[in-house]
Amino acid sequence: MKKFQKKHNYEGLLIVIEGTDGSGKSTQLELLKRSIQAQSYGVMVSEWKTSRLIANVIDDAKDRNLLNATTYSLLYAADFVDRLENQIIPALQSGFIVLLDRYYYTALARDVVRGQDIEWVKNLYECAPEPDLIFYLDMPVDVLLKRIIGTTGLNYYESGRDVGFSTDFYKSFEIYQNKCLEQYNRMKKEYNFKSIDGTRSIEEIHSIMQKEVQKILDSGVLY
Amino acid sequence: MSRLTEKHNLPGTLVCVEGIDGSGKSTQITLLRDWLKSSGKDVIFTEWNSSDLISQTTKLAKKKNLLSPRTFSLLHAVDFADRLKQVIGPALKAGFIVLADRYAYTAFARDVARGVDPDWVRKVYSFAYQPDLALYFDIDPKTSMERICSNRAPKFYEAGMDLKLSNDPYESYMIFQGRVIKEYQKMVNEFGLVKLNALDSIHSKQVTIRNMLKEVLKAKGVEI
Repeated sequence: MKKFQKKHNYEGLLIVIEGTDGSGKSTQLELLKRSIQAQSYGVMVSEWKTSRLIANVIDDAKDRNLLNATTYSLLYAADFVDRLENQIIPALQSGFIVLLDRYYYTALARDVVRGQDIEWVKNLYECAPEPDLIFYLDMPVDVLLKRIIGTTGLNYYESGRDVGFSTDFYKSFEIYQNKCLEQYNRMKKEYNFKSIDGTRSIEEIHSIMQKEVQKILDSGVLY
Repeated sequence: MSRLTEKHNLPGTLVCVEGIDGSGKSTQITLLRDWLKSSGKDVIFTEWNSSDLISQTTKLAKKKNLLSPRTFSLLHAVDFADRLKQVIGPALKAGFIVLADRYAYTAFARDVARGVDPDWVRKVYSFAYQPDLALYFDIDPKTSMERICSNRAPKFYEAGMDLKLSNDPYESYMIFQGRVIKEYQKMVNEFGLVKLNALDSIHSKQVTIRNMLKEVLKAKGVEI
């Protein structure tokens, strides 16, 4: 079998699951982690906005509605770079399979919807290595809206209330999520997302992901 | 696309002072503020790393040595962006004279001295307004150190100890601040910073600065 070509020079593999809120990313991440671990590979998981440096500052600032579009972008970038430098890169260097819940595509979608210049945002994340595999959980907006409302409920920033699309909570939410989806759709091709129909069953989605990952593992790239 | 290299065309006036610690910039801007206030002008003062949003976090992270050159840069950018949107921008739109103790140039000097790409950090700050007057107080690292560290050792990041230039904080300070100064000197041409000799007397510098500011204000139709 032809050896898989990694997108970076590190020992390990970088695999990303992207998708909007409520698309089922964390469920799939957990399943994928278990199935890879079962094959005796080292796996590390890192989620969006979890850095020791700044994650709690972001939560606090969001709670108090202190953020404008620029500080929003920069804080998330700082969180990402902290995790990149302290968790992701060291793990990749040591040969781990790094599974990420969201990557800078999330920032590109959200920040651009908030009116930031896309080149400015890309510059913030230019130090990010290209993933070897990017799964995108594609969800039609109506299903997505129901899922979010049925689980976490509408939150201020996830509804884009800070952008001022509408004073109506639901309307704002709908506009914001639609705009985020537009951005993701635009990126599918640009970044070569493996787009998966997010309305399929958990097992089906997992099996699609598992097959893609298995192809890479079977190519012997981590031996 | 960078605002930093375009005239802002807002009613207000933006003045910033730059230079390494101990160059006397804070003294000068305080004198300037008092003079402007007593002349009845609307003045707002803002200083580096002072936003409600993030400055405490940054200070704590510095104490714990948690920052890499890039996160150091981004956290200071957060602070700056917060003040720019909350304080500087609105004040300029309302016609205030905004006095900034350090501005984006501080980031360009320090971050690049830490090895951050010059072009990257300039892009990060591309939302910053161009000052109407940007003063740079030129000093040598030794005099700066004598002034700053007369009764305390240089702090970790201030001395660039994160770069492992030397185990001795005083020596590290000299090397690191030497690099910062080089970056400032390059920016005299790049951004039109007005270079002042930090070793001149407080009075003579203040006279020069007031004259320059009078010219800037006059061009905007403001007499003082």
